[in-house]
Amino acid sequence: MRRSLVLVAFLLLAAPAEAHRLKVFATVDGDNVQGTAYFAGGGTAANVPGRVLGADGGAMAAFRTDPEGAFRVSVGRTHVHAVVVDGGDGHVATLTLGGEEANAAPAAVAPELAAAVEQAVARQVRPLREQLDAYEAKTRLHDLLGGIGIIIGVFGVFAWIRARPETGHGP
Amino acid sequence: MAHIPDGVLSPPVLAIGAALAVAGTGLGLKALPPERVPAVAMLSAVFFVAALVHLPVGPSSVHLILNGLMGAALGWAAVPAIVVALVLQAVLFGFGGLVVLGTNVTNMAVPALIAGWVFRSLWRARPRNAALAGAVAGGVAVALTALMVAGSLALSGREFWPAARLVTLTYVPVAIIEAAFTAAAIGLVARVRPDLLEAAR
Repeated sequence: MRRSLVLVAFLLLAAPAEAHRLKVFATVDGDNVQGTAYFAGGGTAANVPGRVLGADGGAMAAFRTDPEGAFRVSVGRTHVHAVVVDGGDGHVATLTLGGEEANAAPAAVAPELAAAVEQAVARQVRPLREQLDAYEAKTRLHDLLGGIGIIIGVFGVFAWIRARPETGHGP
Repeated sequence: MAHIPDGVLSPPVLAIGAALAVAGTGLGLKALPPERVPAVAMLSAVFFVAALVHLPVGPSSVHLILNGLMGAALGWAAVPAIVVALVLQAVLFGFGGLVVLGTNVTNMAVPALIAGWVFRSLWRARPRNAALAGAVAGGVAVALTALMVAGSLALSGREFWPAARLVTLTYVPVAIIEAAFTAAAIGLVARVRPDLLEAAR
């Protein structure tokens, strides 16, 4: 009984954040894939299960986000294709990692140096990408106002087409 | 979560949702005289914005759906209003996918129609208690949407009960806020311009 109450309380606390769009952000850093899962418009996605997919689409590693929505999972030196988080309630977010984030080390460079460079670059790029995401969120207001205009326009056109000219008036 | 993204549901669920949405939109447009169009446009815009306004509840936040209000105020015309708003939410904000649009429309419009019917039945029985009837409509619509979302997930191969529990618990605060909001809106309109509500069917 007490356990189920704790579960209910946990779900009540954790679930409402999932009313929004789930997003995932990840970078490959040496042997690890690390990143955060969050809900667009604010809120971290805590305790959400996820998978790292290889080039063939198969799961390479599984993880669960921590209370801050962050995760870090070791995948070894193979090509990482995508990261998927699945809230289990219809919220799924996928991030496809591009070729530049493939973590195969260049053959000519010592592995230690390559790892250090990768780590440094990942650290430098991360705030930029997060800033870009924040900027994307800022454009929401403009989209919102534009959407209202479109709705009024769509129904305006509908009314215009459906409205019959008044009979018995006019020239 | 009422806005299911692409790639979650199975093709049969998508097909059923799309068929119901197309049929409902056709019926809704047929039952929509030109003089009612401004009301539909306005509530469609309200529905569009409501999902993007996050209300703080405890440590987190929720957003309203307002499909109970749509059903009570618009009747069948709620279906095209929901379609237009959901298309824009999907295109502009990525709220719900485009392929699952039909299912998302069905999950919100069918509860809206049922809530509208419940509202009109209660309101006709007791015209003085319009706000109470509005509260019931608001709560019923959200609860039915939660069940239909969980059902859509279950029919697509996910286990019903974990999904249903998760979805329903998420919706408890939404249902409460929405019942209050719908009661306030409907109560005001019923007092000031009851003819606006009588025109819905």
